[in-house]
Amino acid sequence: MTLLWGFLWGVAGMTVIAVGAILGVWWERKVAARIQMRYGPQQIGPFGSLQMIADVPKLLFKEDIIPDSADKPIFKYAPLFVFGPIAVSMVVIPFSAGWAPLNTSVGVLFFLAVPSIEVIAILLSAWASHNTLSTLGGIRATAQMISYEVPRSLAVLAIVLLAGSLRPLDVVDAWRWWWLPLTFIAFLIYFIASIAEMNRGPFDIPEAESELVAGYFADYSGMRWASFMMAEYGGMISASLFGAALFLGAGWPFTGALGVVALIVKTIALMTIVMWVKWTLPRLRQDHLMSFCWKVLTPLALVQLVIVGVVLPWL
Amino acid sequence: MTEQTIVNIGPSHPSTHGVCRVIVTLDGETVVHAEPVIGHLHRGIEKMAENRTYLQVVPLTDRLDYVGSMYANWAYCRSVERLAGIRVPERAEYIRVIVCELQRIASHMMGIGSTGADTGATSAFMYTFAQRDHVVELFEALCGARLTYNYVRPGGVSMDLPDGWVEQCRAFTAQHPPVMMEIDRLLFGNVIARARLKGVGVLTPEDAVGWGTSGPVARGSGVDWDLRRDDPYSVYPRFDFQIPLGEIGDCYDRARVRLWECVESCKIINQALDQIEPGSVHAEGLPRLLAPRPGDAYDHIESARGSLGVYLVSDGSPRPYRMKVRSPAFCNLAVLPLLAEGHTLSDLIVIIGSLDPVFGEVDR
Amino acid sequence: MAVERDDIITPASVSNEYSPGVKGFLEGVRSLVTGLGITARISTEKPVTICYPAEKWSVSPRWRGALRLRGVLGRDEIPLIRDASELYNSVIEDLYKAERLPPCVGNCPANVDARGQGFLIAEDRIPEAYELVRDRNILPGVLGRICHHPCESACRRNYYDEPVAIRPLHRFAYEEFQKVAAERLKPLPVTQDKSVAVVGSGPSGLTAAYDLMKHGYRVVMYEREERPGGALGSGVPAYRLPRDILYKEIDGLVALGIELHCGVEIGKSMPLAALQREHAAVLLAVGLQESRILPIPGHDAEGVAGALEFLWAANNKGETGVRGKKVFVIGGGNVAVDVARCALRTGATEVRLASLESTEELPAHPWEIEEALDEGVIATCSVGPEEVLTQDGHVTGMRVRECLSVFDETGRFSPKFGTGLSDFECDVVVFSIGQAAKLDTLIAGTELLVSGRGQLVVDGTHFTTSVDGVFACGEVVTGPGSAIGSIATGHEVATSMIRYLQGNSLTDNRTPRPVPVYSKYAVADVTGVERSRLRSVMPMSRPEDRAKDFRPVELGLTHQEAMIEAARCLRCQSEICVGCTFCARTCPDYAIQVERVDEPGGRCLTRYDLDLTKCAFCGLCAEQCPTNALTHTGQYELSFFHRDLMVFDKGEMLRSGEGTRATGRDGITPPRCSAPKRREL
Repeated sequence: MTLLWGFLWGVAGMTVIAVGAILGVWWERKVAARIQMRYGPQQIGPFGSLQMIADVPKLLFKEDIIPDSADKPIFKYAPLFVFGPIAVSMVVIPFSAGWAPLNTSVGVLFFLAVPSIEVIAILLSAWASHNTLSTLGGIRATAQMISYEVPRSLAVLAIVLLAGSLRPLDVVDAWRWWWLPLTFIAFLIYFIASIAEMNRGPFDIPEAESELVAGYFADYSGMRWASFMMAEYGGMISASLFGAALFLGAGWPFTGALGVVALIVKTIALMTIVMWVKWTLPRLRQDHLMSFCWKVLTPLALVQLVIVGVVLPWL
Repeated sequence: MTEQTIVNIGPSHPSTHGVCRVIVTLDGETVVHAEPVIGHLHRGIEKMAENRTYLQVVPLTDRLDYVGSMYANWAYCRSVERLAGIRVPERAEYIRVIVCELQRIASHMMGIGSTGADTGATSAFMYTFAQRDHVVELFEALCGARLTYNYVRPGGVSMDLPDGWVEQCRAFTAQHPPVMMEIDRLLFGNVIARARLKGVGVLTPEDAVGWGTSGPVARGSGVDWDLRRDDPYSVYPRFDFQIPLGEIGDCYDRARVRLWECVESCKIINQALDQIEPGSVHAEGLPRLLAPRPGDAYDHIESARGSLGVYLVSDGSPRPYRMKVRSPAFCNLAVLPLLAEGHTLSDLIVIIGSLDPVFGEVDR
Repeated sequence: MAVERDDIITPASVSNEYSPGVKGFLEGVRSLVTGLGITARISTEKPVTICYPAEKWSVSPRWRGALRLRGVLGRDEIPLIRDASELYNSVIEDLYKAERLPPCVGNCPANVDARGQGFLIAEDRIPEAYELVRDRNILPGVLGRICHHPCESACRRNYYDEPVAIRPLHRFAYEEFQKVAAERLKPLPVTQDKSVAVVGSGPSGLTAAYDLMKHGYRVVMYEREERPGGALGSGVPAYRLPRDILYKEIDGLVALGIELHCGVEIGKSMPLAALQREHAAVLLAVGLQESRILPIPGHDAEGVAGALEFLWAANNKGETGVRGKKVFVIGGGNVAVDVARCALRTGATEVRLASLESTEELPAHPWEIEEALDEGVIATCSVGPEEVLTQDGHVTGMRVRECLSVFDETGRFSPKFGTGLSDFECDVVVFSIGQAAKLDTLIAGTELLVSGRGQLVVDGTHFTTSVDGVFACGEVVTGPGSAIGSIATGHEVATSMIRYLQGNSLTDNRTPRPVPVYSKYAVADVTGVERSRLRSVMPMSRPEDRAKDFRPVELGLTHQEAMIEAARCLRCQSEICVGCTFCARTCPDYAIQVERVDEPGGRCLTRYDLDLTKCAFCGLCAEQCPTNALTHTGQYELSFFHRDLMVFDKGEMLRSGEGTRATGRDGITPPRCSAPKRREL
């Protein structure tokens, strides 16, 4: 029964992500355009909002090019495994106090663990492309995503420590507004590490447009390429949702339906910040990225844990 | 030491500034050897010039350095004028200086912007391109083209300044330096960009001179050499301007030299606009078909990329017997293997960008 | 934008470093926030781009877009400039301001429509061409032989190869006109009751008389000599202007209604006051009659002559008394060259031309000097006359002093002499250093004023004298000059007289005679230019033959040569393509192909193909189009649905309106767009 529910919620998550990605792409194009003194999409629909509706059929009908030298089965199905885990991870997100699609006791762990499967899919797709640039991108992505798991998990651990539960709904219930200043460092680390996890600027090293053309998905086209894009936007949406739920108190100060609206507003705000950062900052270099992860973020996350640990007995 | 990988960057690649192909030997991510392969944009312009009259060559020179067409126009016209002994009216010289300094800004906007784009700061690229667009619009009002101007001609310039152009130009030079300072804070002050640019691709002054580099590439290494001051031509001695210099010779210095050159160019333009007087803009009565006496001539100017020279040989016919272009971008690109070795692939891209090659000029 | 321009000073070194330690770390963090602040601020500003395609930038007026032709030969007619004299100046000025004035017309003192002449001759409407020219240039047949043709000096064709032979075409038109002269020369009707007297039958007097007759006034002309023509008859050598041509052309004018009385010297035969009583206005166009002679030692010796007397004798008697003698001509002008050549023709053994000016500065026209040298005249330049060497009152030689420079830095006449003297043996010395008017008998008893130089004083632009109702024009007013210059003053004085006779103000709404001066051209390189495109060579008689007698030097163009020559005219500034092919020749990409049919009376452009696949929009073709017919438009949307559509043929080049056939759905209908918008800086 749980499995069936999980499956249904997974499908729903996929739909949410697909629709979210469509809106997210439109929103990002608008944000990027305004930052760059442009209008962005403006022809189709009000403010160009239907632009992506036009783009999706285009992507569906585009020729699906598979390089001759590619490892064909892997090349074909790897995009599914990039997109799937992201969609699945959506099911544990607490949308409002007392309401999550799947209320499991290890929800936080689930959210941290399942999207990491993406790494394998990315590496597979990169390797299957049989392309030096893709391979480089895949390897970069692997190193980066695995490394950034550590500070990200440590940051979430601080919240878990405070709430005393791995069940996301429990965390939301336990959340108090003064947690925000207390765990602000953790929130920052979670935010930065999430950006790195979803391969977005300034951490878009694996796909570094100016260096590796498009990194691990350089050889993909049509809908398969769109899967990678949806995975990227899905990652952005789920990470922002999860961050907003755990660190910003989900629907706080509201409950119920209004709480869901509050959560979505917070998520959109977080996503906008992600876009703003991407369109402002230059890209890091591989070695800078690694040393930033291990020498700055991880120690800071430990410091946060210590702070929480020191404060905890007094609560 | 692991197994080495050979990666082909280009000729069709987002960050090769045209059609540069670099064969990179990688050890992991570290560049063991980088070999630029040129010639993908070779159109035989020097050979084509031999079958065109002296006037018909001017549109060809537009296509040498296509982000700095005015420079190639001017260098070529200076050689023709030297060859045929043509005196250029003073107003034409001032206009040439103004348009070429504007062209320097437009070209450096491209260079600085692509430094941003290469490092991933796409917005900085857009901001500099907005500035470049202002210059290009000035050029459009001046000669009707936005890229291949065909404006500087043997004997002067093709058309006088249109009405209101001087005011538009002043408006541009007034708003440009503050925008440049903002770009400076956004890009060159940024901690990530500094990490990407500083200490990357260090070109020592000895190498800079030894490899024949010029322009911002040499000046970024602290080589104090600028033809505008050291071999003054046209009306440049009448202007007061500084030549920005780097110290270390890394990508950061090369890129930031360009930024300050734009600020100095604005100062030169303002002085030229103050000094310019009405008059003729083209040598009087020049026939349509120039046929200089047999002989040769070489003249060079300081283009946005360095010292751009044109060597012409005449056999007395209305067509040049031989044209040779000394292209600064070609010489600057030659130091790429030297600079790239030992850096990562990401740095290689930044190094190519900091050399700011234009392949129309490299390949000709 | 807080930073002011003046505060921005280039640092000594551009490689700025962060501070060390924690401060540097904080600077780094702050730089991230600064960057985010900058992008956030810019995102709130208005975008600099536009909503394409609903909005479009307006391109600059100089935009080098798709090309088009404004007009084309065969479809459109060349506009002729044939307005009445009193309107002519303003018409010329308007054309000049609109940049539609052909350089030949602009550079001619009388603004003769040489372009119209070329067009009409090429269309085989030659008598019309003659009449068009005669409106502004009273004696085309005469001026077609003697004019110094400033039109040809300004001809745009100098820029490419060789100028159009405008002057020989005047002569050709006259010769053709003679065939139909009888039916076309009808007396002009006299419609006004006032009459005008003209004293002198030179070019300026004839011009004014013709203009007045066209307004219906009766014109009575008095000439001192037995035959009309003034200086043309007495001063111009017969080898350049056969006298029968001159008299025949003036007879044509007489046939139009001039009452010509020859052999009447006003002031002697009848007083000027009588003319003033009899006529409503009197015009003095008497010219210059006396040669100037330098008062150097020996100037009164036997054998010293003035140029005018010498030429008069040569032209009217055919004998100057220099047979077998050596002649020394002082002066470097055209008259001096005429004297030298006449001396040769009347039997002088050696003719030496001595001028103050150096070889390059000689005021005589280069082609005249060249012809004289061909015939055997010796030129001695950069010398000034010092003394006429005499023996017993006869000339034996001439002593000259070397001249270092003639003009000072400002270009004023101020000769500087050296110390070197040299003597030349000669028997006759002719002074040809200028002429003066002889007005004593003419103006005796009137209040007319004479200037220090012996010329009549007039109002510079209206040619009124100090006496009401008396006007003056020609060389008696301007001093020595060209025939066409005198004709120009004739038109001006006629305008003044008509206004005077009609009682109108002389000054109101009057445009002074504009003479836009066109720059000199360097000699164009004609290597590689086809023979058929070069100027028709005027046939000349052989120098060794012609130097012996007064036979004509220039023999005139044949009918065919003249038709070809008229077709060479580029119809400058007419905005009608004549198929000159200079656009095709200047195109670096060989994108243009032009074909033309040169059928007399049916000349037309049959093909004009512009291949946009080759066109680089460099603008060289439109920039040099002599007619301004080929222009760039602002049309920049040039993508086609079929490759064939990219070749613009003649019909497409002549399209009107805003669009090209580029972007419409059917490949023909142009797209629609809303009003352009301009970006603000």
